[in-house]
Amino acid sequence: MNRALIAGLIITLVMIAASFFGQYLAPHHVEDQVAVHYAVDANGQGTLVVPPVSPNAEYPFGTDKAGTDLMSKLIAGSKYTIIVSLVVAFARIIIGGIVGLLLGYFGKEKKSRAKRLPLWNVLNGIPMFIIVWMVMIGISINPVVSPIYLTIILAVVMTIVGIPSVASTIKDKTMVIREKQFIISARSIGAGPLTIIRTHIFPHMKESFIILFVQEIILILGLLGQLAIFNVFVGGTTMYVDPVEYVSRTNEWTGLIGQARDNLLIYQWILVIPLVAYIVFIFGFHLISVGLESIYKEKYSKVSHI
Amino acid sequence: MSKLFQVSLFVPGVLFIVLLFAMLPAVFQADPVNGALHFQWMNGFTKIGEYIDGIWTGQSFRYYAGSNELSFWEQIGYGIKVTSFYMVLGAVMGMTVGILLGVYFAVARAEWFKRLLELTGALPDFIIVIVLQFIIVLVAMETGLVIAKVASFNDNEPAILLPLLSTIIIPANYMIRNVALHMKHTFTEDYINFAKSRGLRKGYIIFRHALPNVLPFIKADLHKFMGILFGNLFIFEYLYNLHGVTLLVFTNAFGMNSYQYSLVVNGILTFLLLYAIVYLLLRLMILGWEKVLTR
Repeated sequence: MNRALIAGLIITLVMIAASFFGQYLAPHHVEDQVAVHYAVDANGQGTLVVPPVSPNAEYPFGTDKAGTDLMSKLIAGSKYTIIVSLVVAFARIIIGGIVGLLLGYFGKEKKSRAKRLPLWNVLNGIPMFIIVWMVMIGISINPVVSPIYLTIILAVVMTIVGIPSVASTIKDKTMVIREKQFIISARSIGAGPLTIIRTHIFPHMKESFIILFVQEIILILGLLGQLAIFNVFVGGTTMYVDPVEYVSRTNEWTGLIGQARDNLLIYQWILVIPLVAYIVFIFGFHLISVGLESIYKEKYSKVSHI
Repeated sequence: MSKLFQVSLFVPGVLFIVLLFAMLPAVFQADPVNGALHFQWMNGFTKIGEYIDGIWTGQSFRYYAGSNELSFWEQIGYGIKVTSFYMVLGAVMGMTVGILLGVYFAVARAEWFKRLLELTGALPDFIIVIVLQFIIVLVAMETGLVIAKVASFNDNEPAILLPLLSTIIIPANYMIRNVALHMKHTFTEDYINFAKSRGLRKGYIIFRHALPNVLPFIKADLHKFMGILFGNLFIFEYLYNLHGVTLLVFTNAFGMNSYQYSLVVNGILTFLLLYAIVYLLLRLMILGWEKVLTR
C-alpha cells in the first residue's frame, strides 16, 4: 500500500473538514475578545490575565494581542486558504491544460532553449510573487471593497500569472505523445484534431494533470505566503498607523503568519501556531504528490545500471 | 530571425518590459469611494514619459527616503555590494554543493535524507528562513547561547551566517534533486552498462561518463536555478534586514505617500544587471566543470 499517499490524503482531508465544521466545535467565537481581568483560582491565588494569553486549557492555541482566540481565527481563515489554493490551482490546470494541449498538438517543433529569444529567459528571473505584488499592492491596503471581492481579484491575478508555466509543461508532454504511432493511425482513419486530443492524447496525460494539480496547490500556497510576508494578504490588508501595523481582514493563514512576523522573539505562539498549520497543510499535499509519483513511476520507469 | 536581430532587440526589449512592468501599481487603482477597480493607463504612460524626460535632467535618479531626497547613484553602491556578496557566494556554493550532493544521492541509498530534501524543497523559501531564525531563538532561550544573528540590526554588524546558509540551502536543494534525477536517468543508458561491462571503476564511470552527460541539463535549467536564487533574494533581504538592492526598492517604493516609479525602474534594472553577471559567472563555472571532466 502507498503510505505517503494515504497519509497525505488523511492530513488534507482532516484539515479541510476542520476548516468547514470546526466553527461549530471551537470553544470561542472569532469576534470574542479576552478582556483584561483578575482571575482567582481554587487556592485563592490571583493572577492578572492580560492578552495575549499563552496556550492553556481554555485557549488551546492561546490568543493574539487583541485577545481573540487563535484557534477560531485559524478556523475562520482556513476557508480562504483552502478554497483559494484549490480553486486557483484548478483554474490554472483547466485553462493552462487546454491551451497547452492545443499548442502542443498544432504547434511547431519546439526550439531548443538556447535558440529561444533570451528575453523570456531573463524574465524568468523576475519571481512570480513580485508580479502579483505589483498588481495587488495598489488596491489591497485599506480597501473599501469587501474581502470576498478582493479575494476574487487576487485569485484571478494568480491564475493568469500561473497559466503560462502550466501550458508550457502540458505542451511539451503533448508534443512527445503526438509523435506516437497510435496518433498517426488515428489520423489516418480520419479522426479530427479535437477528437484525437480528447480521446487519444488526454487519456495519456491524466496522471500528469493530477500531479500537476497537486504541485500547483503547493506553489500557490507558497505564493500566498510570500505575498503575505510583504503585507499583501488574501482579502485585503488593514493598515494601522502609529505604530504601523498590518492586519489581515480575513484571518487567512498566510496573513496570520505575515502579521505575526514580529513575534519571533516574544509571544511566539502567535507566529508558530499558524506557521505549523500552514506547514502541515503543505506537507499533506506534498505527501499526496510523492505518493502519486511513486505509483506512476513503478508503472513506467526503467532500471538503473549502477 | 537572425542572431544579430535578436541581440539588437534584446536590450530595448528588456528596457521596455521593465518600464511597463514598473507602472503596474500606478495603473491598478481602487476608487477611494466605492472601491471599484480602475485601470488608469494614462497614469502609467505619463510615468514612463516623466522617467524618460528625467534621465536628461537627472530627476529620474533621485528618490525620497522618508522626507529626504537622495541620489540613486550614491545609495545603490552599498546595495550592490551587499546583494552581490550573498548572490555570488550563494550561486557558486549552491551549485557546487548541489552538483556534488546530487551525484551522491543518485548512487547512495540515504532514503530518509532524500525524503527530507524533497520536503524542504516543497516548502516555500520564507518558511525556511523563519524556521532557521526560530531555531536560533529557541537555542538561545534554552541555553542562553546565541549561535548567529537572527537579522541585521545595523549595517556595521550584518548578519552573515543565516543569510548565507539560506541562500545556499534553497538553490542547492533544487540543484541536488535536479542532478540526482538526471543522473539516475543517465544510469539507465546503455553506454553506462557498456562501461561497466568493460570493468571500469564505479567512480570513473560516474564522473567521466555520466556527469558530463548531465551537465547540459544543468546548463539548460540554469535560468530556473537563477530564478530560485534571485526570487529568494527578495525574501531574505527583507527578512534578514540586509540593505541590498531589493530592500532599497521595497522600503522606498511608496515613499512620501506616492509611488516612486523611477526608483522601481532603476532598482529592477540594477537587479537584472546583477542577474546577468551571476549568470555569466555560473556559465563560466560549468564550462570549467566540463573542461575538467571531459579532459
